Amino acid sequence: MILYNMRIAMKSLKRSPILSTVIVGGVMLGITVSTIFSTIRHSFAKDPIPHKSSALHYIRLDSWDPLRPYVPEQPTIPPTQITYRDMTALMKSTIPVRQSGMFKSNLWVSLPGGMPGGHGAGGTAAAGSAPDAGPPPDSAKTAASGRAPAIRPERVETRLCFADFFTMFEVPFRYGSGWDRKADTDAAQVVVLSEEENEKLFGGANSVGRTIRIMDRDFKVIGVIDHWRPSVRFYDLTQAFLSAPEKLFIPFTLMPPMQIGTGGNTDGWKSGPSPGFEGFLASETCWLQFWVELPTEEKVHEYEDFLTAYVMEQKKAGRFGRPLNNRVTPVLAWMAEQGVVPNETSAMAVVSLLFLAVCSLNLTGLLLGKFLARAPEVGVRRALGARRIDIFMQHLVECEIVAVIGGVLGLLISLGGLKILNKWMQVVLNRGDLFRIDLPMTLLAIGLSLLAGFIAGVYPAWRICRIQPAVHLKVQ
Amino acid sequence: MKESAAEGKGTPVMELGPILRSMKRSKVRFGLIVLEVALTLAVVANCITMIVDAKKQMAKTSGFDDDNILSVRSVPFDAAFKENGYLDNGLKQDIAAIRATPGVRAVTDTRFLPWQGGGSSTMLKAFGPKGEMLRTQIYAIDEGFLDTLGTHLVEGRNFTHEDVDRDTQRVRALADVNREKGPDGNPREKFLQDILITRAYARLLFGESPSYLGKLLEDTEGDQYRIIGVVDPFYNPYGWQIHDYAVFYAVYSRSFEGGEAFLVRTEPGRRAEVMQALDAKLLAVNGGRNVTLRPLAEVKNGYFTNQRAVEVLMSMIVVLLVLVTSLGIVGLTSFTVAERTRTIGTRRALGASKADILKHFLLENWLVTTMGLALGIVLTYALNMGLVSSVSTAKMSWLLPAGGVVLLWLAGLGATLVPALRAARISPAIATRNV
Repeated sequence: MILYNMRIAMKSLKRSPILSTVIVGGVMLGITVSTIFSTIRHSFAKDPIPHKSSALHYIRLDSWDPLRPYVPEQPTIPPTQITYRDMTALMKSTIPVRQSGMFKSNLWVSLPGGMPGGHGAGGTAAAGSAPDAGPPPDSAKTAASGRAPAIRPERVETRLCFADFFTMFEVPFRYGSGWDRKADTDAAQVVVLSEEENEKLFGGANSVGRTIRIMDRDFKVIGVIDHWRPSVRFYDLTQAFLSAPEKLFIPFTLMPPMQIGTGGNTDGWKSGPSPGFEGFLASETCWLQFWVELPTEEKVHEYEDFLTAYVMEQKKAGRFGRPLNNRVTPVLAWMAEQGVVPNETSAMAVVSLLFLAVCSLNLTGLLLGKFLARAPEVGVRRALGARRIDIFMQHLVECEIVAVIGGVLGLLISLGGLKILNKWMQVVLNRGDLFRIDLPMTLLAIGLSLLAGFIAGVYPAWRICRIQPAVHLKVQ
Repeated sequence: MKESAAEGKGTPVMELGPILRSMKRSKVRFGLIVLEVALTLAVVANCITMIVDAKKQMAKTSGFDDDNILSVRSVPFDAAFKENGYLDNGLKQDIAAIRATPGVRAVTDTRFLPWQGGGSSTMLKAFGPKGEMLRTQIYAIDEGFLDTLGTHLVEGRNFTHEDVDRDTQRVRALADVNREKGPDGNPREKFLQDILITRAYARLLFGESPSYLGKLLEDTEGDQYRIIGVVDPFYNPYGWQIHDYAVFYAVYSRSFEGGEAFLVRTEPGRRAEVMQALDAKLLAVNGGRNVTLRPLAEVKNGYFTNQRAVEVLMSMIVVLLVLVTSLGIVGLTSFTVAERTRTIGTRRALGASKADILKHFLLENWLVTTMGLALGIVLTYALNMGLVSSVSTAKMSWLLPAGGVVLLWLAGLGATLVPALRAARISPAIATRNV
């Protein structure tokens, strides 16, 4: 029956090509606009690690100044990051299946035999200092003085983290793998390269076992990451979360010996007992992100109890002067709290759906005219025994066919529209692959076209199936 | 066929009665226009609210000469830069080289970068037992800062070159020593530093006052800051609500890890030229580093990404929507005209003029549009409440729905005109056919 309806529908569409084109165009326009806007919102809001996001938790503790809250206007919010002292203590817990403290830095990288880099000058313990938001330095413009290197050294975004990072966040590997926990303990000089960095340094070859120079030390390449572009850099929402993941990953435990300062935010209220890097590490400066994997509800409770016990014990030692305020926040809740989805995109998505509604209403008028003009023909069919439901279905199917054709065309145009937006984002924010139509968005577009077809067609189809055959037969 | 049932027989067309009666007979069709117009008004008015809001945000001025300022960042890799003396010499050479470049008006060594959506901040309070700690932006600057940004002193004096040299020495010496702590955990010996302050922050701390010069501030560790100059205007958007609050102290900043950062102000219109010259020049001064140059206008563009997207995309929606709705009205009216061809012919035969027919359709449509607009105003405010609660846009001014009403009236009339003119051209002879 459906097939028969479809055949009749196609015939009817061909009979009035201009009207059909206008109707298809209407749905197409509505679907284009709503798909583009919904995709923009979805690109920020979607779950970056769907099957695990509820197990991964971001940890915060309120180690801030007893005299005043971290954010004066919102006194219940603990600092966004944790101190080095607390991270070291928390890492000792065996409750999480996996866990990692981490931070981002910018380190000089070259190939051995190239320009000798220097060791880090160390971070400063200055209160409330802020990130250097400039873009990564440009590559070579002129040859360096004297010892011209093969590749001019560049500062490269590097993440310092623990072995669990790669398994916890399901980082895909092209060659090799991440390091193991022993490498953490030994502060081994091993490095994981991103796809791009491997391309740049080794022309994309399997570089596992090769050596690169980071600052003044040699590092052995232990793994090369495959294409990995989470929609947002969800494991560090403290800054620039639209950026691609870092290009290098090295063990966190190299931070103290190499005196590597952070390239991210630091918030402090009390300096350490001594000046310099040592003092910074012992200070109350919050500058590290900390994630734990807690797969079950019981584990979460167990970990919460562990945190409470830890803070209580620290209170005895004179720290944590503020009320107990630990936060164990799953990925999506943390994204919401950090405002990953720009409010404007939600407003635009709502507006685009209303736009589609107006398009549908428009089609109702056109379809009504078209169907009623066909009343005599329908009268004959009714007289020959077609039931009302048959007529109704036939016309509704016709509407849906038009809607789906319009929807598919709209989807194709949205691809083009998003491509233009991506290009613009590449220029403005250096991120050219943010807006992608994935399976959910494709289904949404098709679903919306079916809905638009239904809204537009249900009344005209109902009207046409209600006509009195006798009236129209008389005219013939 | 109910839709096309003949209406009143030869009644005068300019009365509302027949129009309303004929509309009643095609309730659904006119209901559609009402709904469409209502939704269109709601969406258009709210889109324009968002566009206006975005424009307002983008029109906010920093008070600086944004269009002629360049950000220059230099990050060394040559190990020689690890030595402080080398760094200091390098800094002096760079400032001299930049200053000597044709087209450069002023240069300053500072890590402050307007429009990056942040910066550095700290908590300070008015000195004394009273008052609370209030957050402010804080930046190390040198004597060229005010000239480079193009902002002004409203009171007091700027740092001199000697001030910057002296304070740089003092602050660096302080960072290297282990300061002896008192019983409160803060350093026993307090440190006094001269600062410039923005007028907004001075007002916040000390209230309205004829002069803020010489007033003292203190930080969480008890160190003190003395105001020697008051700056206005200053605006740099920040994560916290401290856009207009800032204090500045005199220190040359440079390190191996952080490199150097400058702001350079060029003569109007010579930005591109200076940018090109500086790129080569700084690497010629010292090649053991990477240099990045960026116009401030570009940083500002990046900061307003969302607003620019709203502006462009929402404008497109408004245009498309008015177009779609107009086409919808054209379609529905055409259908009505086609359906009533015979009736119109009869009327013309009974003496109605072309103008009467035209008026009938225009009036009919005006009525429908107006009903739609009435419903639309309700929807507009409902949608606005929904959006305002989720988006931090400003509340809508009544001018917008009013403007939308006028726009849609015009669009409605325009859209009706084409089919209505066609209706007016229907010959009275039609009435005699096919009877």
